[in-house]
Amino acid sequence: MSGQVKARGRGSGLWLGGLACGAVITLATPTAVLAGLLLAPAGLAWVLDRAPDRPTARPMLLCGLAATVQPMATLWLTGHGMETALATAADLATLAVAWAAQAAGWLLSELAPFVAGLAIEARARARGAKLRAERRRLEEEWGLPAAEPPTP
Amino acid sequence: MSGSPSGRAAALPAASAAPVESVIGGRFAVDLARPLAGAGGGLPAYAALDRLSGRDGLMAVLTRPEAPPRAAALTALTPTDPGLLAPLGHGPAPGPGGRPGWFVVCPAPPGPPLWPDGTAGIRPWTEAELLAWLLRPAALALEHLRAHGLTHRAIRPGNLFRTPAGAVVLGCAWAAPPALMQPAAFEPPYVAMCLPAGRGEGSIADDVYALGVVMVALALGRMPWAGLAEEEVIRRKLEFGSFAALTQDARLPPGLTDLARAMLAEEPQQRPAPALLADPAVARTRRVAARQAHRAQRPLELPGLVAWDARMLAYGIAREPLAAARLMRKGVVDHWLRRGLEDATLAARVEELLRRRVAEGAGEDAQADRLLAMRSVALLDPLAPPCWGGVAIWPDGLGAALAGHATEADAEGGAGQTLTGLVAAEGLGAWAAAQGDADEPGPLRQQARAQRALLVRRGWVGGRARLRYELNALLACRSPALGGQLVVRAADLLPALEAAAQAKQLGPAPLDAEIVAFLAARQDARQEGELAGLADGMAPERGILEQVRVLAKLQARTHAGPLPHLAAALAGAARPALEAFRGRTRRIAKQKALEEAAGSGDLGALLAVLDDRAAREADAAELRDALAVAGRIDGQLAALAAGGAQRATAARALGQEVAAAGGIAALAVATMAALLA
Repeated sequence: MSGQVKARGRGSGLWLGGLACGAVITLATPTAVLAGLLLAPAGLAWVLDRAPDRPTARPMLLCGLAATVQPMATLWLTGHGMETALATAADLATLAVAWAAQAAGWLLSELAPFVAGLAIEARARARGAKLRAERRRLEEEWGLPAAEPPTP
Repeated sequence: MSGSPSGRAAALPAASAAPVESVIGGRFAVDLARPLAGAGGGLPAYAALDRLSGRDGLMAVLTRPEAPPRAAALTALTPTDPGLLAPLGHGPAPGPGGRPGWFVVCPAPPGPPLWPDGTAGIRPWTEAELLAWLLRPAALALEHLRAHGLTHRAIRPGNLFRTPAGAVVLGCAWAAPPALMQPAAFEPPYVAMCLPAGRGEGSIADDVYALGVVMVALALGRMPWAGLAEEEVIRRKLEFGSFAALTQDARLPPGLTDLARAMLAEEPQQRPAPALLADPAVARTRRVAARQAHRAQRPLELPGLVAWDARMLAYGIAREPLAAARLMRKGVVDHWLRRGLEDATLAARVEELLRRRVAEGAGEDAQADRLLAMRSVALLDPLAPPCWGGVAIWPDGLGAALAGHATEADAEGGAGQTLTGLVAAEGLGAWAAAQGDADEPGPLRQQARAQRALLVRRGWVGGRARLRYELNALLACRSPALGGQLVVRAADLLPALEAAAQAKQLGPAPLDAEIVAFLAARQDARQEGELAGLADGMAPERGILEQVRVLAKLQARTHAGPLPHLAAALAGAARPALEAFRGRTRRIAKQKALEEAAGSGDLGALLAVLDDRAAREADAAELRDALAVAGRIDGQLAALAAGGAQRATAARALGQEVAAAGGIAALAVATMAALLA
């Protein structure tokens, strides 16, 4: 039941997203062109990332957006023309910064779970060592049979 | 002990340091280099000196370990008792070779024995000499003993001594069980047929009998039945009567004949009392109405004996009870009584015993046969002692007999085993009942019941050893744990164990069955409960705790001083018991406390460490807690081991959230920067 509700929600979200994109392309074509060029890697990742909540695409998109705020503001302050949008997109520095930010977002999405895993595992190991030390103390004090605690 | 030194256990010195002089309780000095031949009534005797009074001319008689001295006589007699070598004291002291021994001190004989051992013949004494020098002084001494409720039971020529004035003095008879060394010639046949150690205190009439035999021997100038086997002496006395057998081919002075006949009467009641003997003229007038045993027309062949009368038949049954019982069951005996002896009454009573035998056991039931033989002997000869399994003893000789035959108690068919069977079957009670008090439980039957109860009592407080010590107040403990030391009283035990521990001769558990039986017999009955827990098959930890408990209480009760070596030995043996404490910290603390208590020599402190109930309960409670904690830890460790995948999922989710949060933060910063620009 909940799966059906989710699928329906996703479908309506996609429809609304498409509608918004269509509106932006129609009403603010230079912005759409500049955003499409600067955020192309994130868009590609969004399409390719099939995981729920798109854990890889989302940080890429957010980081890309952060790098796109300044060129977008420049576009809007300089008349919001197509030539300006294309010129800004053609600027290699601007493009490199935007794409590098998305690459950083991708790197962050890949590294953060790994680092979090390391931290959690280290904490579990520390706790296991403490428990085993306590058990050894009990074994020595009370002559209990040594247990073979499974290694975590 | 009247006049006796307070002795401690005689320590066992090194053989090389064997003393020449030995001291009994700090009072009597025994000169072991001066043995007094023939003075000790058959036991080794040494010259002694009373250091307290400076009195010389004493002798110390060395007792045998298996033949304890006579406690009643040692307590009751005083040095002023006339005509006797009355005991002055007794106690332990190192004997020849340094071996510990128990000595009885009494005056040395005033002169040589009447008849030194090995002398074939002497000059016959005249009637006047016999009356003046033998009969009168001996009768006075016997009367004195009778007044004390005692007997001498060692009257024989080798144990009678003459004073310089010529009167006879009765020798030492207190250092061994009554009549132990009496030849059969000097004892009534009903005593002589008993085990030497089992002849009992008897009565003063037995002393009169022995005095009568001595008188006849001195009158004739020859030892009666010299060289004859004891068995043959008894047979002749039973067959012909003591007086007739003793004088059959000799002539006594006319004035002595009636006197000797009276003194040698078979029935003790017919013998003159010592007071009467003191005046021989009166004693001589006493006539003995000796009943001549009715002789059968034809004899009855018994194993090893031919019986012509009921008395010989009883003796034959007493010697070979099982074979005789078989004959009785076949009807041979009652037929002979009826046809041969022509005594229908006796035959009918034997038949009654046979009917009772049928009800008591199957055909070849040896126990029932022994009972039948015992009852038959009591019926056929009322003067006979209790006879059981070929062994005869008087009831008051049971204790000494058990002590004398302790080493053979386990031997099949040995006297020790037979005596044990007698007690187990309450044979003395059956004998008393057969003697005539079948309707009333007389003292002897109650005594037999009590002795059996001791014999069958469970644990080390019962059994043969307990009975042996119970019936012999001065019997030394036979435990090998004592390392050869002499322990006669309960207070002597701890010093002996301390010495054994010091000499490293003590085993892991100091108390064994012999010591526990000894203690149970020597202590107050109320303290028996302490010993009841000691028995075979106990867990070693429990056993050593019980031993420490018993020894600690004994130390407190006897006011024994510190016993560091014994305490150290006990602590060593008890150390495994501390393993019961599961907590290592508490166990180490207890071990330390145990060592401290052992060092102080205080067995009570040792017991307090070992028997700490509160500590045990705390230990058990803490162990339960520890097990619960260990269980929880095991569960948590298992959960940690099983939670790897869960932690990976959580780490991934967290990482994604962190990445998203990083993106949002970057976006927010960029937006703010753009707005500000």
